[in-house]
Amino acid sequence: MKGKRKKEEKEKIIRAEDEWEPIGHTPMPHVTDLRNWDRRLLETYKPFYAPFCDLCCLCTYGKCDLTGTNRGACGIDISAQQGRIVTLACCMGMSAHAGHAAHIIDYLIEKHGEDYPIDLGDQVNVECPNIRTVLGLKPKTLRDLKTAVQYAAEQLVHVVSSTHTGQEGDAVDYESKALHISMLDHVCMEAADVAQIIGFKFPTSVADTPLVDMGWGSIDRKKPVILVVGHNPASSSEIIDYLRNKGLEDKVEVAGICCTALETTRYSNKAKVVGPLSRQLFFVRAGIADVIVADEQCIRTDLTDEASKVGSVVIASSDKACRGLEEVSDKPTDEVVKAMVDKGEHCLILDHEKAAEVAVEAALKIAPKRKKEEPIDEKKAIELAKACAACGSCTQVCPNLLPVGPAIQKLAEGDAEPFKQVFENCIGCGKCEEACPHGVPIFKLMQAVASWDTWKCRVGRGPVMDTEIRKVGAPIVLGTIPGVIALVGCSNFPNEIDEIAEMVDEFARRKYIVVLTGCSAMTVGMRKDKEGKTIYEKYPGDFDAGGVVNIGSCVSNAHITGAAMKIANIFANLPLRANYEVIADYVLNRVGAVGVAWGAMSQKAASIATGCNRLGIPVVLGPHSAKYRRLYLSRKEEGDWTVMDGRKKELVDTEEPSPEHLAIVTESKERAMVMIAKLCIRKNDTQPGRQIKLNHYIDLYKKFFGTLPDDLHHFVRTERDIPMFFKKEVKQFLQEKGWKPKPVLSLPTLIGTYETEVPVEATIR
Amino acid sequence: MPHPQHLVNILTGIKGAMEMKDATPLAKIIKKAERPLLVIGPRALEVEIEGRPFIEYLVDIAKAANIPICATAHTKKKLLELGMTPESTYDVVEIVNALKDAEWKGVKGEGCHDFVLFGGIRTDLGNQALSTLKHFAPHLKTMTLCKYYYPNANFSLPNYKKEEEWKALLEGLVAGLK
Ligand code: SF4
Ligand code: SF4
Ligand code: SF4
Repeated sequence: MKGKRKKEEKEKIIRAEDEWEPIGHTPMPHVTDLRNWDRRLLETYKPFYAPFCDLCCLCTYGKCDLTGTNRGACGIDISAQQGRIVTLACCMGMSAHAGHAAHIIDYLIEKHGEDYPIDLGDQVNVECPNIRTVLGLKPKTLRDLKTAVQYAAEQLVHVVSSTHTGQEGDAVDYESKALHISMLDHVCMEAADVAQIIGFKFPTSVADTPLVDMGWGSIDRKKPVILVVGHNPASSSEIIDYLRNKGLEDKVEVAGICCTALETTRYSNKAKVVGPLSRQLFFVRAGIADVIVADEQCIRTDLTDEASKVGSVVIASSDKACRGLEEVSDKPTDEVVKAMVDKGEHCLILDHEKAAEVAVEAALKIAPKRKKEEPIDEKKAIELAKACAACGSCTQVCPNLLPVGPAIQKLAEGDAEPFKQVFENCIGCGKCEEACPHGVPIFKLMQAVASWDTWKCRVGRGPVMDTEIRKVGAPIVLGTIPGVIALVGCSNFPNEIDEIAEMVDEFARRKYIVVLTGCSAMTVGMRKDKEGKTIYEKYPGDFDAGGVVNIGSCVSNAHITGAAMKIANIFANLPLRANYEVIADYVLNRVGAVGVAWGAMSQKAASIATGCNRLGIPVVLGPHSAKYRRLYLSRKEEGDWTVMDGRKKELVDTEEPSPEHLAIVTESKERAMVMIAKLCIRKNDTQPGRQIKLNHYIDLYKKFFGTLPDDLHHFVRTERDIPMFFKKEVKQFLQEKGWKPKPVLSLPTLIGTYETEVPVEATIR
Repeated sequence: MPHPQHLVNILTGIKGAMEMKDATPLAKIIKKAERPLLVIGPRALEVEIEGRPFIEYLVDIAKAANIPICATAHTKKKLLELGMTPESTYDVVEIVNALKDAEWKGVKGEGCHDFVLFGGIRTDLGNQALSTLKHFAPHLKTMTLCKYYYPNANFSLPNYKKEEEWKALLEGLVAGLK
């Protein structure tokens, strides 16, 4: 919507009279305001569709078969339909964070009032780079964060409406809408996390956050155990408060799964992290928890059934996941606790203080009534495994195709390692134990193995500090820090613990900056090196070369895009205010950052990644992510790699496909690592910077593929780009390829290569 | 399963691969192709058929019919060890992206391929990649050599329960291509 009144309305919301920075071209952009930027991006990085379903069943004209050149009864084709589904997925993802943000902000406003100020400590002045860049608002209070989320929610209505039958019909336009809503996902995540940081006094402006215990070996089962699951820390922080007030903090165990675990450890370092989402069913079935408090997102929908089987009780605490339970928010606590203790009743409590009180009181009463078996020790486990007759029945039924039988046989011989491996990839379905004709208690043994190990996770620290950006901005943009690698999101598929930990180790060792969020942040802590150290104990938590930084939960992903924006702002002096195109262009061409979503499964992961893409950050996905249906791929040889030389204001064909893709699926961790190193290459790299980047690219390629990269000639601009170590062989390779020098630009930009109101001058400060 | 009256009411699509249980017609189809390509993925390194790595069978097929190879993921290294230099290395989605383009010059610079064989790509990713080609590459046909049925290919082997059957088919194919 354009118009004078709309403009005035926006100016009022963003307090245009505040003169902290000039206002850019797109304050509070509407769905189509950045459409040209998207179209320019997608010109190079064309949507690649892999339809997961050939049919559409969204309206009663259908089902329609959209195979090949067929069209639906409404006229839509298979490409636009994929764009439509992707847009819907991104809307679902974004709405989860918008809902979370709206809830937590209201909850904190109840507690602290609308004027509660934003203060992220003495090291963070650029408090909300996403909100500044997208809206043009410099938020000062909780009320301002609410404003940002309300604006995003309004945009969501427009985008969701475009997916109705007979609305949008073009694939690229759908993608533009997906990009828009995903950009706003980062606004919502930022609003949520900043609200949480100030409202709950989470750590901020420190790098060296504490290490907390992880794994259920760290949980003292003799104590009452409360498990918190989900993403929203309102209830879990109330639980900690209640325990503190009653002097019970050392008497009750609070353990978390998924992002709530990360949030809870930011609130209390006595809280334990059980592990990532993939451990949920397994842990619940182990029956260690007396009370389970579920909030929102990624909670198993069969949670209450599973809890009932082992005598745990569930308190649902979010309006987004009521789970068919009776709401008891207004009933007296004693009555609710009694029903839980006596009858094992689960309930819905939407008042977080009340939920906390009920959870603790119920746990205190339920725990002594439940006989929790002591975990089996190694000796006993070996004894039990000896009953195995190697019939293979367990292996046959495992849905994850795990070698259960052989691992049991090894365990019987005293080697628990293979069985630990099985546990790491096990989803806890229990089918193997059911299938065993010899009564080997496989599932129990697995729980035993699980409890022998504990790990360490570094507490999430929220935004990257401005001081850190000041220090690393130049080396990142010049290329001498070869890249920022962000491993984000879920880790839900077999082998991922090892694979993610290996990638982190590889890049941290090579002095990239590695940042982590969500389940990935927990997952990397679950592997130890030969000396028994986890990644977090091995590498420092600084946002600097060779650092491994746990940024925080899923909503902390906004601090990763935020860090890229801050590089443009703090290092390059570009104004953020309502200046999205300029900032995204800067990030795309000059900030060597790459996102990695290795085990992504959720719609949130779709919107988080797509939001990174609009900002010019490429994302590498794990193999199963082909089921997201859409990637953004270039064709390095056929593509047009012309950019504007910002200094000379001339179009230059760089012939250099950097970054090569915006969203790509790789098949193996080896390929992923090679791809990550390559995607860090930017047109802006200085020659020493390019040498360093190519050095890693060549080295990794040789390690995993055995030769020089066969596309190396595309990334060597002049001979001075060639890493010293590989000089001779690279020169020979270039000669064979008929390589010729390419232009080197110090100010590459896409601004000026497409229709936009932004002048080329805006890219220089 | 019998088909319903209205075909759109089945599974995820109505166009599915022809199941090929016999090597002879398969060899014939491959021989007819003008510019075939064999895409080899990393599962071919891990999967063994009666003690022999799947990748070796694939190399035999490539040699028998002189088919160029595209090595995806990290399979290139093993191929080199086996004395086979792949014509190209891509990620599977990258090669599929190129194959979508009928004007592409192909891995040998002679034009886009008209028949693409796949082996060693994990089933979920493989089926997605084949979906892209099914919808957007009417100029070529696809075939899978793994021991699972891939509905999005044009020709697929069945879901083999017995290794020997799979082995026999692959060996029959090599013999038929010579
Ligand atoms: S939305 Fe269009 S393609 Fe989908 S079922 Fe309706 S008419 Fe068919
Ligand atoms: S419980 Fe057993 S069958 Fe189920 S995933 Fe784990 S190992 Fe496999
Ligand atoms: S089913 Fe039981 S007896 Fe058979 S291999 Fe597995 S553990 Fe051993």
